[in-house]
Amino acid sequence: MRTLWVCLVAAVLAGAQEPASVFQNVCGKCHPPEAVVTPRSRTEWQDTITKMVDLGAKMSPEERVILLDYLSATYAPGAAGPRGGRAGRGGRGGGPTLNGAPLDRHVVDPEAANRGRAVWVAECIECHGTSARGTDKGKNLIQSDMVLHDRYGSTLVPFLAKGHPMQSGRKSSALSKLEVADLSHFIHERVYDTLRGSPIFQPQQLLTGDAKAGEAWFNGAGKCSTCHSATGDLKGIGGRYDTATLQGRFLFPRGGGGRGGRGGGGGGGKQLTLTITPPNGPAVTGAPVVFDDFDVSVRDEKGEVHAFTRSPQLKVVRNDPFAMHDQLLDVYTDKNMHDMLAYLVTLK
Amino acid sequence: MKRIVLIPLLALAALLVAQPPTTSWPTYHGDYTGRRFSPLTKINDKNVSGLSTAWSYKTGVGGGLKSTPLMIDGILYFTAPDHVWAVDARNGKEIWHKAFATKGGWHIGNRGVGINGNWLFFLTPDCQIISLNLKDGSERWRKQNCDLDQFYYGSMAPMIVKNKVIAGVSGDDLDRPGYLTAYDPETGDQKWRWSVVPLKKGDPGSESWPNEEAMKHGGGMTWQMPTYDPDLNLIYITTGNPQPVIAHANRKGDNLFTGCVVALNADTGKMVWYFQASPHDTHDWDSTQVPVLIDGEIDGRPRKLLAMAARNGYYFLLDRTNGKNIVTAPYTKPNWAKGIRPSGSPEPDPAKQPQVDGALVTPNQGGATNWPPPTFSPQTGLFYVSASRAFSVYYIFDPDLANPQGWGGTDRGGATLSSSVEAIDYKTGKIRWSHKWETPGGRGGLLSTAGNLVFTGDNSSNFVALNATTGDPLWHAKLTSGVSNGAISYELDGRQYVVVGAGDTLWSFAMKK
Repeated sequence: MRTLWVCLVAAVLAGAQEPASVFQNVCGKCHPPEAVVTPRSRTEWQDTITKMVDLGAKMSPEERVILLDYLSATYAPGAAGPRGGRAGRGGRGGGPTLNGAPLDRHVVDPEAANRGRAVWVAECIECHGTSARGTDKGKNLIQSDMVLHDRYGSTLVPFLAKGHPMQSGRKSSALSKLEVADLSHFIHERVYDTLRGSPIFQPQQLLTGDAKAGEAWFNGAGKCSTCHSATGDLKGIGGRYDTATLQGRFLFPRGGGGRGGRGGGGGGGKQLTLTITPPNGPAVTGAPVVFDDFDVSVRDEKGEVHAFTRSPQLKVVRNDPFAMHDQLLDVYTDKNMHDMLAYLVTLK
Repeated sequence: MKRIVLIPLLALAALLVAQPPTTSWPTYHGDYTGRRFSPLTKINDKNVSGLSTAWSYKTGVGGGLKSTPLMIDGILYFTAPDHVWAVDARNGKEIWHKAFATKGGWHIGNRGVGINGNWLFFLTPDCQIISLNLKDGSERWRKQNCDLDQFYYGSMAPMIVKNKVIAGVSGDDLDRPGYLTAYDPETGDQKWRWSVVPLKKGDPGSESWPNEEAMKHGGGMTWQMPTYDPDLNLIYITTGNPQPVIAHANRKGDNLFTGCVVALNADTGKMVWYFQASPHDTHDWDSTQVPVLIDGEIDGRPRKLLAMAARNGYYFLLDRTNGKNIVTAPYTKPNWAKGIRPSGSPEPDPAKQPQVDGALVTPNQGGATNWPPPTFSPQTGLFYVSASRAFSVYYIFDPDLANPQGWGGTDRGGATLSSSVEAIDYKTGKIRWSHKWETPGGRGGLLSTAGNLVFTGDNSSNFVALNATTGDPLWHAKLTSGVSNGAISYELDGRQYVVVGAGDTLWSFAMKK
């Protein structure tokens, strides 16, 4: 039996790490940087990091915080992006690359897009619709190959010069090059708004449940009150999170919210621990550092790591504070889920 | 240095189904069947504890090495997005490396190369198909396989069939039709192109779409490597999810031929049959898993079969001569279907389609499994797949409820309750054994061998050998990252190697000398 005692000074590690290096070291194991640059809101980055952890990404709690801060600042919708040359040519508002779009692509100037909106409302909206997705009278322009190949009017100018019906009755050839370029900005903005990570890519109305039914589930069939209390640990929880985050947290507390992420303290500071009992020694309990078929190690409350080679004689017991939440996933109806959310938002 | 003489690939066609080669790994799957089974036995369940690192090669290129190397004449050929390498299969020494300047495209991964004679073929993220000289990596020709402005990109490994280079497309963001193209290996000229979705009313499958606009923008990307039966002359291609991906009000119907296994005539690219694994998918569950060809026995009769464990949580067994369903069985516990149709396709439950206020669904978007290859061992009769049981909530975001575009929603949150290797009895779909990883999340590809071994990765960066009959873990090597592709095996100079990618490194293992 091999037992190693290792002292860890985790804070030193965290303090020494450059955010960009953490990004490279953690995310870069599976993604080249180009694949990790879809702009997302902080909440979405939190979700994405959680998803990546579920898929196997390895990071310390400290790295998780650094990553969330870094990605939220660097890859927010409309942010400047980290790399001058490439990001400068990026998507809407000069932002980062958008889901693998070409490097040579139309970069939306928001002011020009606003000017283009005025042209759109005056000349185009009746046939092509508010969002350029078309109507019975006119084509969907965000699906138009001509639009997708356009750069600042490069294809739209010659097309409109040939003559195209407009609302006001004016000839389309009368539009100035600048007006067409503005229109191009406006339409490309609609295209980019369609993509994952766009500013409109957000949950809408989630509060459809019945708070009273949620309360009954909380105290009854859901057995939530076995561990939680509306006036204790959950007091004020409805005011701490937006509804989508709150829904994620009660369904998936293990990853939801992230340790130190928005709202902080995901899972109320609880985490999975293991109790390891060697055949000839005292049992140790701590958070898993390595837990696989061959090795197991835990970090105890003092920060000391205890490592063992697995064998039939080594007893390992999981103490999982989220086990009930996992079991509920097979129990919840969608109505239960909506009702619970409606109830929890009332706990202000 | 001793060199193995290369048998021309065309002559290998029949062999690739009957018996995979041992001194080469000439296609992504090792052979045309997609079984990823090596008949080598020098490394086996009795001696695997003596397996150790033979060499490693670090690419220095970020991103997981998702490419399966092809090994021909003692040289490994593999890729990362914008990169191709040739590395000595005996010692890991680089022979050549080519990097390509990109014009964009999603650099999410590249599965590798196809090789025909002295020429290599691969796809770039920026939509090119490029042919290189095997000897030195010099470029012979390049053609445009897709349009970057339409948010397509390239990631799959081309496959060589009957003097054609078969290449698919990736891209899931802007409602584009998927297709599969056959190119002339000498010139790069197009020989045929099959559209996954019907392009006009009256075309086969058009009855499963509400109108031409919807079908023409209906998605169905072709980014998994096909398999091929030379006797039937059929290429088996699996197709991606329909588009718009999540919000779906404007594409009512089954949305053929997305979410399908399709058999195409290799000469003409015409569809011979299809089977739909996910009718009207709304969860981003591409059915682009490997369609594995099994020559088996059902009810005492020899049958030509096709098995697939789909991302939606169901295992399917089909007759590959005609696409008729024999078995449909869940291998995780999916909650999105309310029954099984007489055809064998699951019937989606409308309540578990994405909702504005959310629907709690399992599998999650990542799926019960994903692209990493499964394996089938004719010795054990087991189909092995890397599986996850995970939940998430699917939302519709697009305020334009009647005419969504792109994705129009996604899933959020989520919990992976378990990750495992499931060993499925290919005849019945019943789970023979399940090996759960202690820490969930791993998604390694799989390799089985005649040494009664299954090789894969866990979620603790271990490369692991399991007993193929029982699932017991027998051996592991701690790598610097998790396994990121499916392992391969070959024999050179009488020595068996097992080679696997993890992070930016290719690792080779052999018995200690």
